[in-house]
Amino acid sequence: MEAQVTHDPIAAPQVPPGSLRDVILALLLLVVALCVVLAGWAGWFVARDRAVILNQLWGGAVIEGVVLIQGVVAIVQGATGAGADDPLLFWGYFATTLVILPIAAAWAFAERTKWSSVVLLVASLTVAFLEWRLWQIWMGA
Amino acid sequence: MMASAGAGRRTGRGFGRVLVTVYGILAFAALGRSSYELVVKFGEAPVAYTLSTLAAVVYVVATFALAIGSPAWRVTAWITVGIEAVGVVTVGALSLADAEVFGESTVWSGFGQGYGYVPLVLPFVGLWWLWRTSRSPSEERTA
Repeated sequence: MEAQVTHDPIAAPQVPPGSLRDVILALLLLVVALCVVLAGWAGWFVARDRAVILNQLWGGAVIEGVVLIQGVVAIVQGATGAGADDPLLFWGYFATTLVILPIAAAWAFAERTKWSSVVLLVASLTVAFLEWRLWQIWMGA
Repeated sequence: MMASAGAGRRTGRGFGRVLVTVYGILAFAALGRSSYELVVKFGEAPVAYTLSTLAAVVYVVATFALAIGSPAWRVTAWITVGIEAVGVVTVGALSLADAEVFGESTVWSGFGQGYGYVPLVLPFVGLWWLWRTSRSPSEERTA
């Protein structure tokens, strides 16, 4: 939130060169797309008055896998000296993005009513939102 | 997370599960924000960042209290959710009156504007839920 005030996206050329930027963007869009799919799946379950099922948690695990790949890319990028403008802010958001789905999944799965599906829906949308924030921080916007 | 059931229904079940989820997410947001402020720039505005930390701690405690929901934790939930309701309204009003005092330093600034006003709505939903679940379990099969 603080970073937004001081940085002008045009004046601050924090965007990493060509191919890496494309990889980062592709991974990010993949996570957001998967989150939207999982949220839609959960939303459909809410409408059908059904609890979260194990396959949906596997879906969450796939998202976690892609987020971990994002982490590896960020580490590599940081090692080359072209990492996020504010590493502390970036890794703070990254850690939050990483832990939300596992915790929410465990919390949801213990409830065997439609409310568990609402929990998964909320968690999926939150991860999608956090990805957007990660993108802003990553690109120094 | 499974505490023994006391008077009233457990606050972490049914709709409460969603409430705790949103509380948990907000607790993460508040904790992340205040940790960052404490580490990076505490010297700039000690009062505002101390308040930010206090808000974060209240969210964390409220999340656990609502999740556990035993009689003792229910009291804690009433207190912490109550503090949030007062906090978001007070800090929101103060930040409107004088942006310099709290600025964007807490989740409560601008009535939680930076968080989609979730910090403004959530404590009142929390209070409603605590009130609703405080009655005997037999009355509450519908939720």
